[in-house]
Amino acid sequence: MSHPQTILMFVVLAPGVVFGILASLWLLGWTPGERFLSWITGLTFSACALGIAALVWTIASVSNVTVTFGNWFAVGDYHFPLVLVADRLSLPFLALAVVLSGLIGQFSATYLHRESGFLRFFLLLHLFAFGSLLAFAAGSFDLLAAGWEIVGITSVLLIGFFQLRLGPVENGLRVFGVYRACDIGLLVGVFAMHHWAGTASFDRGFPSLTGARAVIVCLLLFLAASGKAAQVPFSGWLPRAMEGPTPSSAIFYGAISIHAGAYLLLRAQPLLAHSVLASAFVIFVGVATAIHGTIVGRASADAKTSLAYATLTQVGLVFIEIGFGWKWIAVVHILGNATVRTMQFLRAPSMLHDYHQMHSAIGGDVSSAGQQIEEMLPERVRLWLYRWAFDRGHLDTSLDRWVIDPLLHISAYLAKLDRIGMARTTIQSRGVAPIPLHGPAGLRGD
Amino acid sequence: MSLPGWIFRAPFLTAVSVAVPWFAAALVTGYRRHMRIIGCIAALVSMAASAVLLREAPKGESLYQALMLLFSGLTLGATLVLPRRDCTVRTISGILFLLGSTLLAYSTENLLVLLAAWTLSAIPFLIPGWFRARTWRPLAGVLLSSLALALAIGLIATGTGVISIESLRGQSPGGLAAFGLLVVAVIFRKGIFPAHAWVADQAEGGPAVPTALLLNGHFGALLVAKLIVPLFPRVDRLFPVLSYLAIGTMLYVAIRALGENSPRRLLAFVALSQSACILSGLESRTPEGIAGALVHWVVVAVSTVALFGILRLLEVRFGENLTASKHLGLAEHAPRLAVSFAIFGLALVGLPGTLGFCSQDLLIHGTLTSHPLTGLLLPIATAMNAVSIFRLFARLFLGKRRTGFTVMADALPRERWILAAGVLFVVLGGLFPNAIVVRHSAETDIAEQAIATPADLDLAGKVNGLPGIVRFLPRPAKGSEQEFMAESQLR
Repeated sequence: MSHPQTILMFVVLAPGVVFGILASLWLLGWTPGERFLSWITGLTFSACALGIAALVWTIASVSNVTVTFGNWFAVGDYHFPLVLVADRLSLPFLALAVVLSGLIGQFSATYLHRESGFLRFFLLLHLFAFGSLLAFAAGSFDLLAAGWEIVGITSVLLIGFFQLRLGPVENGLRVFGVYRACDIGLLVGVFAMHHWAGTASFDRGFPSLTGARAVIVCLLLFLAASGKAAQVPFSGWLPRAMEGPTPSSAIFYGAISIHAGAYLLLRAQPLLAHSVLASAFVIFVGVATAIHGTIVGRASADAKTSLAYATLTQVGLVFIEIGFGWKWIAVVHILGNATVRTMQFLRAPSMLHDYHQMHSAIGGDVSSAGQQIEEMLPERVRLWLYRWAFDRGHLDTSLDRWVIDPLLHISAYLAKLDRIGMARTTIQSRGVAPIPLHGPAGLRGD
Repeated sequence: MSLPGWIFRAPFLTAVSVAVPWFAAALVTGYRRHMRIIGCIAALVSMAASAVLLREAPKGESLYQALMLLFSGLTLGATLVLPRRDCTVRTISGILFLLGSTLLAYSTENLLVLLAAWTLSAIPFLIPGWFRARTWRPLAGVLLSSLALALAIGLIATGTGVISIESLRGQSPGGLAAFGLLVVAVIFRKGIFPAHAWVADQAEGGPAVPTALLLNGHFGALLVAKLIVPLFPRVDRLFPVLSYLAIGTMLYVAIRALGENSPRRLLAFVALSQSACILSGLESRTPEGIAGALVHWVVVAVSTVALFGILRLLEVRFGENLTASKHLGLAEHAPRLAVSFAIFGLALVGLPGTLGFCSQDLLIHGTLTSHPLTGLLLPIATAMNAVSIFRLFARLFLGKRRTGFTVMADALPRERWILAAGVLFVVLGGLFPNAIVVRHSAETDIAEQAIATPADLDLAGKVNGLPGIVRFLPRPAKGSEQEFMAESQLR
């Protein structure tokens, strides 16, 4: 194994190894202190950043770096390849993940000082970094899916970080449900690639996937990308995700996680190029999301939510760029948006302080930023738009009404069927109340 | 001094693995002291014997030895994790009795012994005061499954006069009636829709850990693998019925779990839903599907027993009226139990980095290849199960702390070490799955060759020279169903 290959392997695996060691030691009874956690996090990500710098140097002068570990598992003709790739597309994302994870780690050491979940946060940060690096460095959609799922679960666990409050916990459950539903697209899409093209590796280029097959695979991958990137109609989970601590909101919904969907589509670009229909669909959803994001963001009352919608608007634009095939514009857009939003998210808790500072420095009122574009609309339309924005485009209520409520009603009906022939007393024998017809509230996010 | 060779022979080792737990069960009943130690030693002996059997088994013929090792390991873990309150003579003797019966069912090649083992394994769940639930449905489910199996074996034995499974291979003994009765036995024992309700009733009204062990014997899947497929290769067009029933159960129970608030019932539904897809994988007749089903068998068994064990530990500490209708905030008191619960739960529904991810991946590929609709519904049901298990985790462990009781202990060292071993198994299995997948892959590789070469099905319908799991793979043969129907009518 050459040096660049070793470095790539180190960069991807290091956060995962740190997570594994710290988690195992904690399970066996040892709890590391804050200073140690901060130190080990800084050390890990600094070393990874150096590694990334070396990889940038290598790729600029030589070519892509590929590490092949063989197959994770193989049965018959099917195999799950373990291939890591650092190329011109993955490297910017790897750099973004490493640098921002390190920065968030250092920021959080102060921000979460003496917080009861300090260790939990850092463990999840390392796991998230491992998942995102695995997804970005994956040489096939199989491995990308593995990293993708890890990012999803850490995201959900960090939304519920403040576990004593019901809001974050229930919102985490809601986000988990949306993620899992959309990830079906990725699982089935990867299968379709194996079935029709015989591989899910990026390097082969899927020459046999054309026509209807390419459209089906693209749409399946797009379903997964839309879920992770909170595109319309799955945008409802984004404001709920703001319940997590600010540093995690910054790295997940300002930078890495929300752009993972765009990265998936960038990887599927050769397929998208074969499918006008799928590209048109990506553009359509991107436009819808950008409009949705900008309108709803204007009616958001809190800083983090309005920042999240600002990010969403930009991600919608990125999807449009990908749909048009402007790959490198999309990459630059993602890098710029991710960096700026992370900074804005991290400053969000100090917004009032910043405002007062600016106010004192100016020595008077801060002047108005100018006329808002919506003021050009008739008042009736503005009121309608406000109501629409206030309910966040009715996306969550529609999801409740058309998906979750029917499922819970069916569940309650099946519970009734199950009770046939059973005395009521036996059903309640363990002190459990009978299930109400409307089902448990948690799934609805009430 | 070297040990005599007969110690390492299969019959002796099988006898040891079966007889020692039964003897220990009798000893516990008579001696009534040191129950946990006796139980652990007996399970450990069974485990060691099974491990030697597995090591000595030829490549491609090690499925049942692997299952024996798995079940004895599960029993050892369950005996260790059992709360002191539950560590009674009845519980330990019942668990050991169940262990012996289950290993006998795995190891036998004789129809009557299989029937005896099947029935014996259910006996603790039929006797009031032992593991019997308070409702009638578990009793009915277990009894009807035994009755159906007895009738099927009776038909086969009277029709052919042969009780050796090996000799009956490929002969479709007993005709369509025997086939139907065997399917009925699977439906009742495995809890396939519409006979699913007894599983939840047993989980709720019976003891948690023994019930988990009963369910994870997976006798329904065993019957499919051991009898139905190898004995009835000519009805391969009827086998998809099993797959459709399994996926129907998976979906039905997954939806049912979404609205369930009793933790035990919810867990039972999720476990049932996840284990139903083992049948789909076995029936898919693709190497990926079969290997996925076998690996999933392992994952479901380990995760389910661990989850029921943790739930029981929580009940013992925090009261038996736990519910998923409100947040209990137990993670504040029991963080390690919470983390273990999360890991086992996520492994059960296929989180990457756990063995469940590999099994789900293989299952989805296998079933999508053979039955696209089934394969499409499988990830949907799994997604719903994931939501249910995460909801249960959130409700039990997150939220505001409960008040009104003194501070309770987190996992005790004994529990912590055994749960850590389980976590290590599912996580290391997920990181390095080849160790487990390759073992089954060796069998499915040969299976693939068997599917491709139907010529070696001779006139008597016997499969020649095909070891292990291959023998329960039906070969597609045009018109075989009609021939079978005509033959069964003649009989």
